[in-house]
Amino acid sequence: MIEGTLVDLRAVEMTDMERYTLWFNDPEVTRFLNRRYQFSLAAEEAWLRENTGKPLSYDHVAFAIDTKDGVHIGSIAFHSASPENRCAELGITVGDKAYWSRGYGTDAMRTLLRFGFDEMNLYRIELTVDARNERAQACYRKCGFVEEVRLRQHRFAEGAYHDTLWMGLLRDEWAAAQQAGGEVRR
Amino acid sequence: MIEGTLVNLRASEMADLERNTRWINDREVTRFLSIRYQMSLAAEEAWMRELVSKPLSYDRPFFAIETKDGVHIGNTNLFNVRPEARAAELGIMVGEKAYWSKGYGSDALRTLLGFAFGEMNLNRVELFVYDFNARARAAYRKCGFVEEGARRQALFRAGAYHDLVVMSVLRAEWEAVRDA
Repeated sequence: MIEGTLVDLRAVEMTDMERYTLWFNDPEVTRFLNRRYQFSLAAEEAWLRENTGKPLSYDHVAFAIDTKDGVHIGSIAFHSASPENRCAELGITVGDKAYWSRGYGTDAMRTLLRFGFDEMNLYRIELTVDARNERAQACYRKCGFVEEVRLRQHRFAEGAYHDTLWMGLLRDEWAAAQQAGGEVRR
Repeated sequence: MIEGTLVNLRASEMADLERNTRWINDREVTRFLSIRYQMSLAAEEAWMRELVSKPLSYDRPFFAIETKDGVHIGNTNLFNVRPEARAAELGIMVGEKAYWSKGYGSDALRTLLGFAFGEMNLNRVELFVYDFNARARAAYRKCGFVEEGARRQALFRAGAYHDLVVMSVLRAEWEAVRDA
């Protein structure tokens, strides 16, 4: 497993299925995600079978987030990693709402960022976030992400169009932040 | 066909195969596109066979660009169409370099945008353009696109990292340009 301070990242297993199904059918969880339709246990099972059946690799980086007590609280992944650009897109869901706003998501982010820069040798990590999702943006800023783009009227949900922000973090910025705050953080 | 002022947009045909292959192997053309590796005629043929075998639709609006004289000079398409958000990403390639900087690309863009907003009923058309592609950025601005920001150093080409500029045009902005 990949160790953080509050959480560990591990490979996803079939036994995670019911929790994922619960989370991805919870409108409070999916509110800012691109998952508006409901998800059957069978569809989730097919998806998990496909994805747990192959080893994690540069092209397939998806981890379950466990607390240090072994409670599975969410998932975190890189999508569309490009080796030429050394760039990947990050996505995170803390599905267990009891663990929101307590630093678990931020620790999972820092743990995956360290893996992305120190092990995958990425140069840039980016993500998109709903402009209304201020809790997530605060977390991303704490991790060093910079707001780069405002995609106007990019998503439609809850009866209206909403902006999406693109945020990015470069390797040098990450390294500088580690040097400044690394000792405290570890 | 969909009629513009200088160009028309039509469905691709297998007869376009050799031109398409020549263009996407021309590094003067692909330095502005997300194409790095060379493409065999066979690989391009397989891709085109798939493309031309199905009718164009909301999910696959892909057009060949022809001058009014019937010269095929490039292709343009919409992709990643998201019906809930009524948004899509736009791509364009003018492969025939003799037709660069003469208004053909801009006319193809305007024609495709007219179709995207007027027939597909989109609300937003977006694209990514490399920061060093000044000619394209100017063409997009002329068609009503607005720069929304840049994904810093998200692209590595020709030995260096470059920014990916994000541009979009919303329905009302398009209508203002169209009616001007």
